[in-house]
Amino acid sequence: MSNTIEVTETHHEPSPNKGTIINTIFRVCDITGFKVDLRAEKLIRVNAVAAVVSLLLAVVAAILLVFTRYQPVHLLPAEWYYRLVTFHGLNALIFWIIFFEIAGLYFGSTVILNTRFCAPKLGWVGFILMVLGLVMSNYMILIGKADVMLTSYTPLKAHPLYYLGVILFAVGALIGVILFFGNLMIARREKTYGDSLPLVAYGLMTAAIIAVITLATGAIIYIPTFLWSLGLVQNIDPAMYKLIWWGLGHSSQQINVAAMVSIWYMVSFLAVGGTSINERISRTAFVLYILFICLASAHHLLTDPGVSSAWKVWNTSYAMYLAVLASMIHAFAVPSSFESAQRRWGYNKGLFEWLSKAPWGNPAFSSIILAVIGFGFIGGTTGVIFGMEQTNIIVHNTIAIPGHFKGTVVIGTTLTFMGITYYLIPLIFRRKIVGMGWAKWQPWLFFIGIALLSISMIVLGQLGVPRRHWDATFSGGPFTYNFNPAVDFFWTLMMLGGSLAFISVTIWIGIVVTSVFFGPRVNGPQDMQLKISPLAPPAKSHKGFEAPGTLVLTLIFLLVFLALFFLNWKWLAATWNVK
Amino acid sequence: MEMNQPNQEKVPFYRMIMDDFMLLLFLGVTIYAIFYLLWGVMELSNLPAIPDEIKKPLLK
Repeated sequence: MSNTIEVTETHHEPSPNKGTIINTIFRVCDITGFKVDLRAEKLIRVNAVAAVVSLLLAVVAAILLVFTRYQPVHLLPAEWYYRLVTFHGLNALIFWIIFFEIAGLYFGSTVILNTRFCAPKLGWVGFILMVLGLVMSNYMILIGKADVMLTSYTPLKAHPLYYLGVILFAVGALIGVILFFGNLMIARREKTYGDSLPLVAYGLMTAAIIAVITLATGAIIYIPTFLWSLGLVQNIDPAMYKLIWWGLGHSSQQINVAAMVSIWYMVSFLAVGGTSINERISRTAFVLYILFICLASAHHLLTDPGVSSAWKVWNTSYAMYLAVLASMIHAFAVPSSFESAQRRWGYNKGLFEWLSKAPWGNPAFSSIILAVIGFGFIGGTTGVIFGMEQTNIIVHNTIAIPGHFKGTVVIGTTLTFMGITYYLIPLIFRRKIVGMGWAKWQPWLFFIGIALLSISMIVLGQLGVPRRHWDATFSGGPFTYNFNPAVDFFWTLMMLGGSLAFISVTIWIGIVVTSVFFGPRVNGPQDMQLKISPLAPPAKSHKGFEAPGTLVLTLIFLLVFLALFFLNWKWLAATWNVK
Repeated sequence: MEMNQPNQEKVPFYRMIMDDFMLLLFLGVTIYAIFYLLWGVMELSNLPAIPDEIKKPLLK
């Protein structure tokens, strides 16, 4: 039995005629002290479970794809390759991520804000629509009626039920986002938090705003495409489709960025009692995301002739760099919150004692640190470099592009979501983690696997290997191309990295499923395997920088970024060398 | 009532904007809609059609 106390609260909802009385049952968590609306908790659980199922589907497809692109094995026939590229993309980039984010939005807007869920029945409607959308789209893909890949560029046409599935999923997700705002309004009205939203909830609010932009754009493009697939609309202009689709496709990944960064701050707080050393700056960085990050969708049209250079340059450089600035702020603020807290706990020797004495045995902490490193050094640097009109030309439509987003979405977002799950299992599912020994090294294995996979793909792309191509040797085709012999080495590394990552995800799913369904119950703080730190004590004195170690690490990052930046310009110059 | 208290602390303008999530939602949607969506759609809409003498051989 859980030691948590159940509390029933009565709220009077104002209405034009008379007040409506709502009884809400809360559980007061005996570990965190948070008040948890039991109706919200159920919704958080089901969305998290659906997310894990989606990830499982995605990685099964992923490993088959890795061994197809790895030419010595070349596992799948062409039609199944493209089918599973579609299946993997949809399950990994949309279903896994958005189910988890809806769980995160419900958690952030009720548990963190100590408030009730505004409309749980609507939450269930949203969830059912999302599951229906998942089943419908996946079924249509697997029976071969939607071999259109995630982007489904027109004139490629899928079965109408595929588009309908995506639309249902998006509507369900939009309901979840609206409910998040409803919860925020209740929390504000009932003054369940201080003057401003806590930073984690603020970051989740950023994610929710970006989600509105994303889902609205999705409706603009998917509804006419659905009608076109039914024969009710004559033509969908391919250039127009691509422009609007990427407003959905790229922005959806920016929801991840905001949610991921929020979790980074949350784990700093949970693991070492850290807070941002300048919350106002961190909040400003989130606002910069809201205002400018979705413009980055234009990256995907950098080689399209239909839009002008002015449109491309404004959207991918001038305005978008403000969003890059925001990421740089978070990249400093998150590690510095760890460092500042660790120093206040007394780990003050030299530049890096705070890091060497960090709670590395806590898999949530190690996941987050590894996600920050991978996201910054692999995903972030390549994102800015490939996002420039000039340097984009040397990698556009090569395998370097999925290599880049393996560095953002997989090593960044997915590893972060995996990490926070180690806290969610005892706090939300009220179960102990089964297999803590495995959990401690799972993030490291995942990091090494995806880093190998991602870097290999980036190098392969720089060597001209195309993306989304069943047979990179072009055997039997009218054209042939002799790649640099080094590609064979990097294909092998990619296969090795993909295999390690697959093993790691399998371990993670095994831990999650075993813990949630068969793990011993958590009966109080004594059963908590991961530390929840009290707030770090105030600093005794303020001399010099508050986080000098982070400053040094940031400078190293900037040097690496500069080196890669100039290297890419050098390669660009070599590409266009006229002899 | 709390809201009738005369000595309420004045919230700085900057924080008022930062804390107003509906305003931020409006600004985020508007900036994206103008610079990415509408501008892009206008440019694509104004592209001249492919002349028939080029289009016909391509579609053969």
